[in-house]
Amino acid sequence: MPAFRAYAWFLARRLGLALLTLWGLATLVFLMIKLLPGDEAQMAAGADASAAQIEAVRQRLGLDAPVIVQYVRFLGRLLHGDLGTSNVTLQPVLADLEKVLPSTLELVFFAMFFNLLIAIPIGVIAAYRRGGVFDGASRIGAVVLGGMPAFWLALVLQYVLGSLWRVVPISGQNSFGNAAPVMSGAPTLDALLAGNAASFVDGMYHVLLPALVLAALFSTQIFRTLRAALLGVLRSDFIIAVRAKGATARHMLVRHALPNSLNPVLTLAGTQAGAMIGSAVLVETVFARKGIGAYMFNGVAQKDTFAVLGSVMFIGTAVCLVNLIVDILQLFVDPRIRSAQFGGRTQ
Amino acid sequence: MSQVITAPVAAASRRKFNFSAFEYFVLTLVVLLLAIAIFGPLFAPASVFKSDIGNSLMPPNAANWLGTDDQGRDVFWRLIVGARTTLLSSFLVVTLYSLIGVALATIAAAGPRWLDEALMRLTDIGLALPGMIVALGFAAAMGPSLQSAIIAMAITGWPITARLLRGIMRQTIELPFVAGAQVLGVSKWRLMTKHILPNSLDVLVVKWAGDIGTTVLVLASLSFIGVGAQPPSAEWGATIASARGYVSSAWWTVVAPGAAVAITSIAFGLLGDMIQIRRNPSLREN
Repeated sequence: MPAFRAYAWFLARRLGLALLTLWGLATLVFLMIKLLPGDEAQMAAGADASAAQIEAVRQRLGLDAPVIVQYVRFLGRLLHGDLGTSNVTLQPVLADLEKVLPSTLELVFFAMFFNLLIAIPIGVIAAYRRGGVFDGASRIGAVVLGGMPAFWLALVLQYVLGSLWRVVPISGQNSFGNAAPVMSGAPTLDALLAGNAASFVDGMYHVLLPALVLAALFSTQIFRTLRAALLGVLRSDFIIAVRAKGATARHMLVRHALPNSLNPVLTLAGTQAGAMIGSAVLVETVFARKGIGAYMFNGVAQKDTFAVLGSVMFIGTAVCLVNLIVDILQLFVDPRIRSAQFGGRTQ
Repeated sequence: MSQVITAPVAAASRRKFNFSAFEYFVLTLVVLLLAIAIFGPLFAPASVFKSDIGNSLMPPNAANWLGTDDQGRDVFWRLIVGARTTLLSSFLVVTLYSLIGVALATIAAAGPRWLDEALMRLTDIGLALPGMIVALGFAAAMGPSLQSAIIAMAITGWPITARLLRGIMRQTIELPFVAGAQVLGVSKWRLMTKHILPNSLDVLVVKWAGDIGTTVLVLASLSFIGVGAQPPSAEWGATIASARGYVSSAWWTVVAPGAAVAITSIAFGLLGDMIQIRRNPSLREN
């Protein structure tokens, strides 16, 4: 059963790398905590803690022990889902993050939708009309968009589309009095669960602009990757055969060229899904949305460093897991990767 | 007489580079940005950091070309002063992480197999983690400041450089001249630093301009989030952060610094692409 062994080997390698990465991330976060200026127990207990409270925190976190023991205990706490305690909400950071995660996932979901919806058609047309006006314009557009700071794009679009033209809401996740009862924490999903069409449309309306801004940040990469892949595929012999058979340009592009170029795009989109969770920090606060990014942003503003570092650990873990899932899915989607694994290491 | 002699020389050197109009445009832009960053602040009026509340949020006019901010400070001159902060910091970040990358790549390429393996797994970890988020964590932990952001970005930015350079160095080691040097009895240290490294550094030359473009963006983002440069710094990201409340009443206070970030990032990004294509013309295909 060589195929099975190749699968198992691939999975084991990827899983090992993911675990190694998580361990590296945990070590980095531990290092960050050790870098905190001043007394860690004082920091963890909060600015107005009494001496007894500080001492209690010191005991609880085991800060009297040698650093190496602290490190092992820190890893142990992480394994139990303890990402530290926020000094502002006084809740475990993980509990805070779980509350706002659905809202971020909603944003990422719609951002990914727009990301692909915008970049794929433009990429296909640009590659087909290579060297033409559309190709040139879209490449310039990608360069310009790729150089813009996302938070600035968010502020400007919010001002132009929200304040001046009033075509989209400026901020928030629902209009007043229009929210469905909170079940998941993601307004559009809550509306669907409640069967409230008006609330669903309202939620969509509010997520539109933030999702578009986040999508703009990532769609330039999708565009470039797809265009490059398509240019390669369009040069291959089977495309000439398809055209010779009498297929229309549209049929050739949609049924033959695009499916053969999508693999790198889907891999990239997968890793982008993880990266989007991190980039939400640049977008969510501008639109006054709840979410992991907004939580982190507030943590910085309120000097709630444990909340920030807990979020770093959380986002890093999410990115690792998403990348692992993408790697595994890729194995099932692309037969070429399966055969490449027979040859051992692909790098 | 001298004209007759110099003319062909000039033509030959022009043919050597043969810049297109677009390439001239990119080069001019980058040189202009560098000139602004180096010399611009020398001409800045002393009032760049002084508030003048009576003159606040003025729209662009003859005295204040890009208007004034909420403190009544001139937006244009703050951009010029901020250019130095932004570009100097970005150069520092790219230089620092390139040095880390060079050191690790050299050790990996020269060292025993297990060390190479360990360093490359370390690089894998670095590549798999979201760089900006980890940098944010480090900067927040060290206490938010421009210095913290620079250090944080330097210690998170090296993996791509290390990976690329180590690969190139492994290829360079295979070249005949290295075997020749070994036969002549050149020590391993000297071989790595004087022969293999200089012959592999091309990859950094190709990479640095694009890296500056990305670094400008990340630095502005960190400052906007609040872990980078702090007010009253004229750094562009910090400027946007302190002006964001005024976007609807005084758009120029937000639009101007953001446009500066975008132009700088795009200019260096294009310069990076340009160098890359000149070094490897087959890339022009795509």
